[in-house]
Amino acid sequence: MNLRAVYSLAIVLTRSQVRGTQRNKFLARVFGEPRIILPVDIALLFGLGGLGYALLSTSGGGGLLDLLRPIEPELLAGIPSAIMFMAILFGVLYEISQPIQSMNTDLVNWLPITPMEYVGASTISESYIYSFMACLFLGVVLGPALALGMASVWVAAAFMAVVALFAGAAVVEVLDATTNRISSSFYKKSGRSGMVFRLIATVILLVFIQLLFSGYVVGYLLQSVMQAAVSAWFIPVVWPTLAVLGAAQANMFSFLLFSSSSIIFAVALFGLAATFRGRFWVPVPVSIKLSTRAYQPRQRQLHIPLIGAVESAMIQKDFRSLTRRREMARFLAIPFVLAISMGITLLPLGTQQTAEAPSFMFVAFLFLMPVAIFVGALSMTSIGQEGYAVWNLYAAPISPTQLLRAKLLFATILGVPFAIALLSIFALLLNTVGTYYGILLPVSVLVVLEVSALGVYFAALFPDFREMVRSRYVSVWGSLMGIGTALAVSLLTVAPLALSIFLYGSIVPQLAIISFGIGLAVFIVALRLANNQIQRMFQNIQT
Amino acid sequence: MAVKGVSFSVERNQILGLLGPNGSGKSTIMKTIVGIVKPDAGSITVQGVNVAADPIGVKRIVGYVPESPRIYEFLSGIEYLDFVATIHGLSLDTKRERITEFLKALDLEGRENELIHGYSQGMKQKLAIIAGLLHRPQILILDEPLNALDPRSARIVKDLIHRLRDDGVPTVFSTHVLEIADAICDRIVIMYDGRVLAEGDAEELRSKAGTAGSSLEEVFLKLTGTSDTREIVEALTH
Repeated sequence: MNLRAVYSLAIVLTRSQVRGTQRNKFLARVFGEPRIILPVDIALLFGLGGLGYALLSTSGGGGLLDLLRPIEPELLAGIPSAIMFMAILFGVLYEISQPIQSMNTDLVNWLPITPMEYVGASTISESYIYSFMACLFLGVVLGPALALGMASVWVAAAFMAVVALFAGAAVVEVLDATTNRISSSFYKKSGRSGMVFRLIATVILLVFIQLLFSGYVVGYLLQSVMQAAVSAWFIPVVWPTLAVLGAAQANMFSFLLFSSSSIIFAVALFGLAATFRGRFWVPVPVSIKLSTRAYQPRQRQLHIPLIGAVESAMIQKDFRSLTRRREMARFLAIPFVLAISMGITLLPLGTQQTAEAPSFMFVAFLFLMPVAIFVGALSMTSIGQEGYAVWNLYAAPISPTQLLRAKLLFATILGVPFAIALLSIFALLLNTVGTYYGILLPVSVLVVLEVSALGVYFAALFPDFREMVRSRYVSVWGSLMGIGTALAVSLLTVAPLALSIFLYGSIVPQLAIISFGIGLAVFIVALRLANNQIQRMFQNIQT
Repeated sequence: MAVKGVSFSVERNQILGLLGPNGSGKSTIMKTIVGIVKPDAGSITVQGVNVAADPIGVKRIVGYVPESPRIYEFLSGIEYLDFVATIHGLSLDTKRERITEFLKALDLEGRENELIHGYSQGMKQKLAIIAGLLHRPQILILDEPLNALDPRSARIVKDLIHRLRDDGVPTVFSTHVLEIADAICDRIVIMYDGRVLAEGDAEELRSKAGTAGSSLEEVFLKLTGTSDTREIVEALTH
């Protein structure tokens, strides 16, 4: 193995990942060089450690120290497994969120680099990039470990964290090579159905990951892992944790057994990754054939007033973009994540009696918030997601009004069914929602329209056409303002209805009319703003 | 690239070549003609239509192929062409007839149902050329259109441009390959650093450069003041 080549490639891969995820010019300059990661790691490790130790050494720290004493060994032992899990998670997320255009690392296919050297470089690169997680966790537990006289256990945890990080990175390499071959073969044979399968699998994975990051689930998992670690000693993933537990219990045999087993496991994973890379990697992008039938053009015009063939073609293109681009799957995952999250929140409230039941305003907010977020995300990214291919629109005879109609309808077509489905789920869970179903349904349609129009305005005002890992398609400032405004107008629209129920206990027609009047006015203003902004965008094209 | 004080016209039955090194402003001029780049001053008229006053009108009559075109990679070749044809308002029958013809002519038949993501650079280029020609434009703006094309397809595109020229469809054609400019263009504009250095047919350019009988390459190097190539090669090989 050419170590010099491994080192050089590791630097290039690190730069590629670090620079590929930085949008802000200042941050890109500061964090654009791999060497910045090291001081950040040191600062996290010793800064947090020093701070923790200083706090616990003060007179008031004694009580906290007593609280930490029984759980510190478990915290230290949990770190390696958590690190391995997160390295795999972030690595997989990185792979998913890469735009289709930047997925091919052609260079390594023609340079004299062996699979072993590539896997070595990639594993080192990923371990180094995600080392901040290890330093963050280890920094937090360093202070208590010093104060409790567990410095040696902390050293064992730090060592095992490094091994776990490396093993996690190697797992990502194994998955990368395997999925590359499986998906290549699969798409070649399955065509369109393969793409549908990929979409569903990606959405499920994203929903799972999002839910996993909710505090409730993470706490539950950590507790379960610690309880299960000892009984699951035969599973290699928990060996680093068992090694640290052995160190904490001063059981030298256990520490040596599980730490050496962990190292052997990490090396074995590395070897497996190198073998898989050599055997399975498909360097050429696969050709996915969608159909074997001869071309038959069809007039797929949507029969909606004001929507012509041009708008229909753009909407159809955007649907294909949403369902075929892996990096767009996260937008399709949003409704599921939001519906499940809100469902979890509402479930315990469903059994409450009417007198104690949550207020109309509370449930209206809980319902309209996900609708506004989903529709806002779709509409705000609708222009930026065109990416560098946006010249196709600029060079085509498309008027700003046609573009506005297409983008608006695209978000509305997806937003309205989501609102209806979500409201129906809520109605099943909560009596309050069932009672006001008839009024909340038209309000939600109005909110979808308002937010779609506002979203397209912000999309045209702050588009981000850059194609990079986890592309936002709208600037940070634009997305913050857009989501803030979307939530504000949703609340503004529903406020008269909430007032009506609060004051009179039922919906007063006059206040309902005011509510719909507000919604309609916001929609009209937003439409005008969006139309003017798209016109300006066409006049000041950035190429 | 900023361009300054550029002025030229293209007549019907004419292929105008924009010739210049990388970064000389050829692509900027072409984008300005199509209305993608807005000039700070001056005006552009395409077939009597002012670009600033009626950009959509100009886009309807122009066929544009950008340099290294980025195409929607999540669409299949046929879906992309169908999209472009619909935007240009072609009828179903016309779409079918023209798309089938072009796919056959440029050897993309049989690959049209594959996602563009899996296409080679040459195939993407062919697709962009077809997209630029589908609606039978009244003027062609082609930015290095022969890049990455195989010899047969390059020949077909060249012949097509000549045929369209004969039918009264003018072409503005950019390249930095002198042989291509010499073989295709009726008139050549030599650009350097955002300015027009010289304009005329190959013979006129030779006489302007005072290099009668020499190749277009020598004319170009002389006019752009970049003829110190021998020293550079010497330095590189030592």
